[in-house]
Amino acid sequence: MASVYKSISKKKPNGHPRDEDAALKPKNRQRLLILSSRGVTFRHRHLLTDLHTLLPHSRKDAKLDTKTHLTQLNELADLYNCNNIAFFEARKGQDLYMWLSKPPNGPTVKLHVQNLHTMEELNFTGNCLKGSRPVLSFDRSFEEGGTYLRVLRGLLEQAFGVPQGGRKTKPFVDHVMSFTLVGGKVWVRVYQISETEGSKSDTPTDTPHDPSTNLSLIEIGPRFVLTPIVMLEGSFGGPVIYENKEFVSPNQVRADVRRQKAGRYNRRAEGTLERKVKRRDLGLRTGEGERVVDELDERRLFA
Amino acid sequence: MAKDHKLKAALDRHKGVDHKLERQKKLQKQAEKRKKQKRKDKGQDDEELEIETFSDDEQPTKDAQALITAQLAREGVAAEAAGELEKIDGEGEGWETDESEDAEEGENGGIELGALEDESESESELDEPVRNGNGRQNGDVEEDEEEDEEDIPLSDIESLASDEKGDVISHQRLTINNTAALERSLKSFALPSSLPFSAVQSVTSAEPVQIPDIEDDLSRELAFYKQSLDAVKEARALLKKEGVPFSRPADYFAEMVKSEEQMGKVKQKMVDEAARKKASADARRQRDLKKFGKAVQVAKLQERAKAKNDTLDKINILKRKRQGADLTTKEDDMFDVALEDAATTEKTDRASKRERGAAGGPPNRKRQKKDEKFGFGGKKRFAKSNDAKSAGDGKGYSVKKMKGKGGKQQRPGKSKRAKSA
Repeated sequence: MASVYKSISKKKPNGHPRDEDAALKPKNRQRLLILSSRGVTFRHRHLLTDLHTLLPHSRKDAKLDTKTHLTQLNELADLYNCNNIAFFEARKGQDLYMWLSKPPNGPTVKLHVQNLHTMEELNFTGNCLKGSRPVLSFDRSFEEGGTYLRVLRGLLEQAFGVPQGGRKTKPFVDHVMSFTLVGGKVWVRVYQISETEGSKSDTPTDTPHDPSTNLSLIEIGPRFVLTPIVMLEGSFGGPVIYENKEFVSPNQVRADVRRQKAGRYNRRAEGTLERKVKRRDLGLRTGEGERVVDELDERRLFA
Repeated sequence: MAKDHKLKAALDRHKGVDHKLERQKKLQKQAEKRKKQKRKDKGQDDEELEIETFSDDEQPTKDAQALITAQLAREGVAAEAAGELEKIDGEGEGWETDESEDAEEGENGGIELGALEDESESESELDEPVRNGNGRQNGDVEEDEEEDEEDIPLSDIESLASDEKGDVISHQRLTINNTAALERSLKSFALPSSLPFSAVQSVTSAEPVQIPDIEDDLSRELAFYKQSLDAVKEARALLKKEGVPFSRPADYFAEMVKSEEQMGKVKQKMVDEAARKKASADARRQRDLKKFGKAVQVAKLQERAKAKNDTLDKINILKRKRQGADLTTKEDDMFDVALEDAATTEKTDRASKRERGAAGGPPNRKRQKKDEKFGFGGKKRFAKSNDAKSAGDGKGYSVKKMKGKGGKQQRPGKSKRAKSA
């Protein structure tokens, strides 16, 4: 609340009115609360720490005890002065869902995290300054695909974009975070920007500002894929404003696989039964049913 | 009439009748009535909805939109009723959250969508459910629990459908895509557009990234890389223009995201990988060489065998020619000469070779070694010992010699020798 008070009162603590310019100038102020639910695996936890190291404006908090009363997160964010929440919810010790929200008024998006690889296990050679601000690279389809994608983009932009002039931020840009939309899923990659001194001959001429450097990228990690599931109007509450029809929950997938396996047995069992019935109907089983004897049967002909 | 009204009002006041309250009650009654009817219709209704949702699979978005319109329209009507009934339901969840404002906006949205929908054919189909929905909503506004009921049909449809379909599992759900609400919420939290680029550093690619096969790792990662690289180029240009530092000077050291330890691990891994690759390449080369050497040896042996066969054939031919020489005619003789020549030259060749070997330089290394080890020129032991033949040979034996009679005459004494001489 302190920040709200400050922004409303427009006065410095010592009584002088604030600079008009500074007050009027729009600023990108973001603070991100990162936390997970209980029951995360080590991989999930490592992803969390990776994101925390990459995002200097983030604040890591202890695991949240509840999975039902997520509105508590709003209070938590208020407590820490955060206006973004990235909440990682683990289900069944294997599935990871990521909630991105803008407390206190929303919106919220719930994403399913798949193909998760942390920085440590990927062993990429890229590295960047801790606290440098990333360039955020978005796919054009975020703009063209529909309104919900623009909302999603906004949420990602504010959660993962490091604001200027933060306490722990460093002044140079040395990594890029890319979000690509393929098949309704958002693929996230992080690369280091490496500038190498190139010889005059092989430098491209389309970079007039600094012709002596070549740009190339080296991946840092982590890697993950996000599938949007649902969007709520409020922060962890409110009406559903978007729901992904194509999303199939991992539970469903597992159940299907199991059912298919069960189906195999059922089919076999059914087949056996059918065969039995057929044999009985033909009178091939002793003591059950009667054999139909027609006119041309040997027993009739040679009786 | 006006007088009448006044009088009536006065009477009411006197009696203490509250028109507002009465009206409320009347509305309530109406609502209940409608609710009852709705319940009667509900069975049919749901079926209809279900049929629609599953028959119109090819245009799910249209359907969804239509449903949303229905919802919104419902909300609009609900808001009207609610305005009169006052706000009983204060709960902050579901569609009736911030009643008046939201409802109005919802109504607007509904109208917009409705206008859009005039072009689509699905409206006429959906008309009835919408109306029913209205009725339902009117009845439900008062009670909180009823709110949930509004949602139940959707899930009912889902469960029913899955029951009906049996083994075939459908993952179809009704997509909710409330564009108006999305726009509103986007507006509520979006960053102002007047921010300079350096405030967010967000770049959108010029074209949507197209990846034909998402399973193909290489092309997919390449597409991501390309997108990022383009973004970086653009961002660098923009940042340079704004005068924001971009590249880190070489002498600027600070804590990195990955620790030294982690980077050491990465490097070690790379070194190991390189070593492994080199070792495997070496091993392969060795293997290839070995295989090649073997091939050479085999070829040599084959060549030798072939040469031997050739000579044997030649000899055989020669033999046959010799046998048939008695019967041969003159023409054969001519060939015979040549062949004989070849044979003789071979013989002489061999002889000369032997001679050269005997006379000239030393024999080959192997021979030398063997000579050294086993001696030269064959067996020498027991060469002077007797064998059966020599033992049976009585050529040099004489009895006279053995008896001492026949042998040499004794030398005469000195006097005798003097006499005779």
